[in-house]
Amino acid sequence: MAQRRAIGHAGWGRTIAAAIVAAIYFLPVLIIIMYAFQGRNDILSISARSLGDYLESIFSFTPTLSNFENVFFRANIIQAGEGAAQATETDFPLYFLNSVGIAGISVILALVIGTLAAYGFARFPLRGNDTYMFIILTTRMLPPIVVTIPIFIMFQVTGLAGEYPGIIALYTAFNLAFTVWMMKSFFEELSPDVEDAARMDGSSETRVFFKICLPQVKAGMAATAVFGLILTWNELFFALLLTSNETRTIPPAMVRTLGGEVGADYGLLAAIVTLFLVPVLVVTFVLQNQLLRGVTFGTIKK
Amino acid sequence: MKNFGRAIAQAANETAGTRSGLAGWGSVTDLRLRGLAKSFGRVTALRGVTLDIEAGEFFAILGPSASGKTTTLRCIAGIETPDEGRVIFDGRDVTDEPVQSRQMAMVFQTFALYPHLSIYDNLAYPLREAKVDPAEIARRVGEVAEMLRLTHTLQRKPSTASGGEQQRVAIGRALIRRPRLLLLDEPLTNLDAKLRHDTRAEFKRLHREIGATMLYVTPDQLEALSMGQRIGVLRDGRIVQVGTPAELYRAPGDDYVATMIGDPPMNMLQARLKVGGDSPVIELPFGEVSGGPWSRPLSAFSSGEPLWFGIRPHDLKPVSGDPIGPNFRAKVHLTEPLGDVTILDMEAGATALKIVLPEEEALAYPVGSEVHLQFDVRHTHVFAQQTGTAIR
Ligand SMILES: Nc1ncnc2c1ncn2[C@@H]1O[C@H](COP(=O)(O)OP(=O)(O)O)[C@@H](O)[C@H]1O
Ligand SMILES: [Mg+2]
Repeated sequence: MAQRRAIGHAGWGRTIAAAIVAAIYFLPVLIIIMYAFQGRNDILSISARSLGDYLESIFSFTPTLSNFENVFFRANIIQAGEGAAQATETDFPLYFLNSVGIAGISVILALVIGTLAAYGFARFPLRGNDTYMFIILTTRMLPPIVVTIPIFIMFQVTGLAGEYPGIIALYTAFNLAFTVWMMKSFFEELSPDVEDAARMDGSSETRVFFKICLPQVKAGMAATAVFGLILTWNELFFALLLTSNETRTIPPAMVRTLGGEVGADYGLLAAIVTLFLVPVLVVTFVLQNQLLRGVTFGTIKK
Repeated sequence: MKNFGRAIAQAANETAGTRSGLAGWGSVTDLRLRGLAKSFGRVTALRGVTLDIEAGEFFAILGPSASGKTTTLRCIAGIETPDEGRVIFDGRDVTDEPVQSRQMAMVFQTFALYPHLSIYDNLAYPLREAKVDPAEIARRVGEVAEMLRLTHTLQRKPSTASGGEQQRVAIGRALIRRPRLLLLDEPLTNLDAKLRHDTRAEFKRLHREIGATMLYVTPDQLEALSMGQRIGVLRDGRIVQVGTPAELYRAPGDDYVATMIGDPPMNMLQARLKVGGDSPVIELPFGEVSGGPWSRPLSAFSSGEPLWFGIRPHDLKPVSGDPIGPNFRAKVHLTEPLGDVTILDMEAGATALKIVLPEEEALAYPVGSEVHLQFDVRHTHVFAQQTGTAIR
C-alpha cells in the first residue's frame, strides 16, 4: 500500500525499453535525414560491413546543404565548362505544391463526404447496409496492381488521366473507403440516447448532427484525416500511372532521381525525402492531441 | 438535495411574473395510451399498453427489466413510433407528431447528458433550441443550478461530475423548459443506495410543488410504492393491473403482481381445490383450509384445480398460546437480520417460505428450531395456476 505508484509513472527500466523500441522505429528516418546533409564523397564512403561500422560511417561527415540546393536548382553540366556555371530551376516546387494540393483536397473531400455517409450508415441504416460498407472497401482489399488496368482504362476513356480532377477523384475515392469505415465506428460509439435527448430538447435532425454528433467525433475526424493524409501523401503507384509532368506529385518525382545521368543520387533523394517529411510531421504535431484521443476513442469512454 | 422541488416551483412562478399557484408552470396535462404495440424484428416489446394518466398525477409504471418500460416512454415521447395504438396528450392525438413539438421532457436512464458541453451548456441547451433570449437563459440556468446545487459544477464537463450531480443535471435539463409532461426512466437505478433514498423523497416533493404530470418507470417496487400515486404493473409489454399502492398490495390481480409487490415477496404455496360437501376446501401441503371465503368464485372450477395459495410474510405469525386460525409447523432454515426486523427462511415439509418478525422476537427462533405458524384466512390470496388470475 505504502509503495503504490502514481498512475503514469512507469519505472526507469520500462521507460528505457520503450525508448529503445522507439529509436529502432525512428532509425531509418534518422539515417535518411543524415544522408541529406552529406556530400557525394561522404555518402560513397559509407560502408556497411557491420552494423557498428555502418552507424559510425553514417554519423561521420561534413554537413552540407548542397543536396537541398540540388532539389531546387539543377547545375547545367554542358555549360559548366564555360566559366559562369549556370543553374536552372527544377520542378520540385511544382511537385511539392501538387502533393500538398492533391493530398489536401482529396483528404478534405473524403472527410466531408465520408463523415456524412458514415453518419447515415451508423444511424439510418439502409437495407443491406453492411453490403454497401463491404463494397466500398473492395478496391482497397486488393493490391493496387490488380485494379490498375480497369482504373487506367476508366481514366483514359474519361480523359481524366494526367489531370488534377482525375488524381484528386481517385485519392478521394480511396480515402472515402476508410474514412467511412472509421467514422462509422466513431459514430457507433456515441450513445443514441444523447441524440434522442437533443430531439426532445427541440433539435432538428440537422442540428442533432452538427450540434451533438459532430463535436463528439472531432478527435476521430482528426485521426482519420491524418491517416488519410499519410496514405495519400505517400502514394506512389497510381501517381506514377495517372499524373503527367504538370500534375506529378513528389513520390514519382523521387523515383526519377534514382535513375539520372550520373546514377542514383542518394543525397538528392534523401534531401527530397527530408523535405517531404516536413508537412506530415507538422500536421501530425498540430493535431497530436486530437489524434491520440481519436485513436483511443473507444477506450476512454466508460 | 434539500427542497429543490419548492425552489423549482418558486422559480417557475417568479419567471412568469406571478405568485399565484402554478401559473408559471403552464398547464398540466393528461395522457391517454390506447393499445400501444411495438415490435423490433422478432422481439415484441409492447403488446397493447392502455393507460389513463390524469393531469398532475405522479404515475409509476412498475415492471422488471425488458418488460417494455423504456419502449413505452419512447413511444410517448415520439422517439419511437408505435406499430399500433395511439398516444393522446391533452385530448389531442399526437401519435404522428414529431418528437420536437410534443413539449415533453425525459430523464433518461443513462442520463444522456451532452458529453462535449459544459454542465452550464447542458442546462441551457433546451432553451437555446427554443430561441429563448440569452439573458433569460443565463437567469434560468442560474436558478436551476442553484436549486439543484450545481452552481459549483457549471463550468465542468458532465464526465467530471459525480453520479448524483449528473442525475441532477439530467433533471435540471428536463425541467428547465417547464415541460407539460415529465417522463422519468429509472432515474435512480444508477445511484447508490443512500442517494436513492434521499432522492425518492425529493421526487415526491418536486411533484407536489410543481404539480406537473409525471410518469415514472422503475423495476423497483419500493420506488413505485413510495412515490407513485397510482401504479401500473407492466408484464411482457402489457399492463396487468393499475391501482393505488394500497390496492395493489391488498388485492393483487394476479400471481405476478402478488409476488412483484411487497418485500419479501408473498409466499406462494402449491394448493389444490377439493369440491364436495358444503363448501369447497383448499388442500395445502400441510393440511386443508376452508375455501369458504371464495366459495362463489371457486364454484366455477372443478375439483383438483391447481391453485396458488398466497400468504404475505407479515401475515404468518408464530403461535403464542392457542392458535386462532389455520396453523402448521415449520423449521427455521436461515435467518436474515435486517436491523429492525429479521426475515426467517422456513421449511414446512418440502415447501420453502419466509416470515418477517421484529428483531427481538426473532431471537427466540434460532436456526434449526421448530415453529408453529398460524395465519388468518382473511389475509390470504388464492390464484388459479392456469391463468394466474386472483380468485375473489
Ligand atoms: N431498439 C431495439 N431493438 C431491438 N429490440 C429492442 C429495442 N428496444 C427494446 N428492445 C427489446 O424490447 C424489449 C423491451 O425493452 P425495454 O422497453 O427497453 O424494456 P425495459 O425498459 O422495461 O427494460 C426487450 O426485450 C428489448 O430487448
Ligand atoms: Mg429500460
